[in-house]
Amino acid sequence: MSVEVEVNEDDLAEMVGQVWESYLDPEGINPLIPTYDENQPSEVHSSVSISGSWTGHLVYASSISAARRAAAAFLAMEPEEVSEDDMSDVLGELANIVGGNVKAMLPPGAFLSLPQVVLAPESSARYPNTERIGGVYGLWEDEPVSISMWHSRAEKSEEESA
Amino acid sequence: MRAMVIDDSRAMRMILKRIVTKLNFDAVEAGDGKEALDLLTEMPEVPELALIDWNMPNMNGLEFVIHVRADPRLREMTLVMVTTESEQSQIVRALAAGAHEYVIKPFTEGAMIEKLALLGLVPTGANS
Repeated sequence: MSVEVEVNEDDLAEMVGQVWESYLDPEGINPLIPTYDENQPSEVHSSVSISGSWTGHLVYASSISAARRAAAAFLAMEPEEVSEDDMSDVLGELANIVGGNVKAMLPPGAFLSLPQVVLAPESSARYPNTERIGGVYGLWEDEPVSISMWHSRAEKSEEESA
Repeated sequence: MRAMVIDDSRAMRMILKRIVTKLNFDAVEAGDGKEALDLLTEMPEVPELALIDWNMPNMNGLEFVIHVRADPRLREMTLVMVTTESEQSQIVRALAAGAHEYVIKPFTEGAMIEKLALLGLVPTGANS
């Protein structure tokens, strides 16, 4: 069974805004400034896979500096004190939070994987037979951060032929 | 009072721990439902509150709730799911299994304190 995704970029931006408000910028001083540049560079990324009524991935990618800053915000420590494990943990949780909220907007019967974290650029990731269908791209304190959705091509072509 | 914070993300455990510590709970942490059950077995006093993630390895949050509700010794624990699982059907499942409240990630500190206040676990207005 395939269904058309019901999550658009505005929804994604709203979810991302809530994450910033809750954890990364609770005082509203350093929001994610949109760049609308889907090709902006990254150095680390995390993802969760969604399967079932919709098949695809949610990917969070950023520079190491932004990942370090995110971990520092979550863990209430200075960025210099953040370890690689801390960064991995927070990157995974960020993908999990946004991915979970995306899943909630999909038709019933979607399942979320546990997060995967790779301390390498998003461009090194391989999501076979998928295409990026949208995302939020921005700068957080001048460092690149992106959150994108990838959809299974096989499922998309089923939708188009239905 | 004591609270148990159960989440596979250390960062999320830290955030929850900061909140409950501010409310004068002594907090203990577990990385999944299985570890939490093992800790509860060893603890002479059962915590009043557990904040529970849903998606965790080894034993997920829903399975943990079911185990706790089946154990008379743990009957008095207040169970709050803290999760990204925000579909109505999942909320209903968790509440039917015995969770008392449901908090959807991302949450602000204020929203969490309000939920705990509704459960009578913190003085009303602790958020102000």
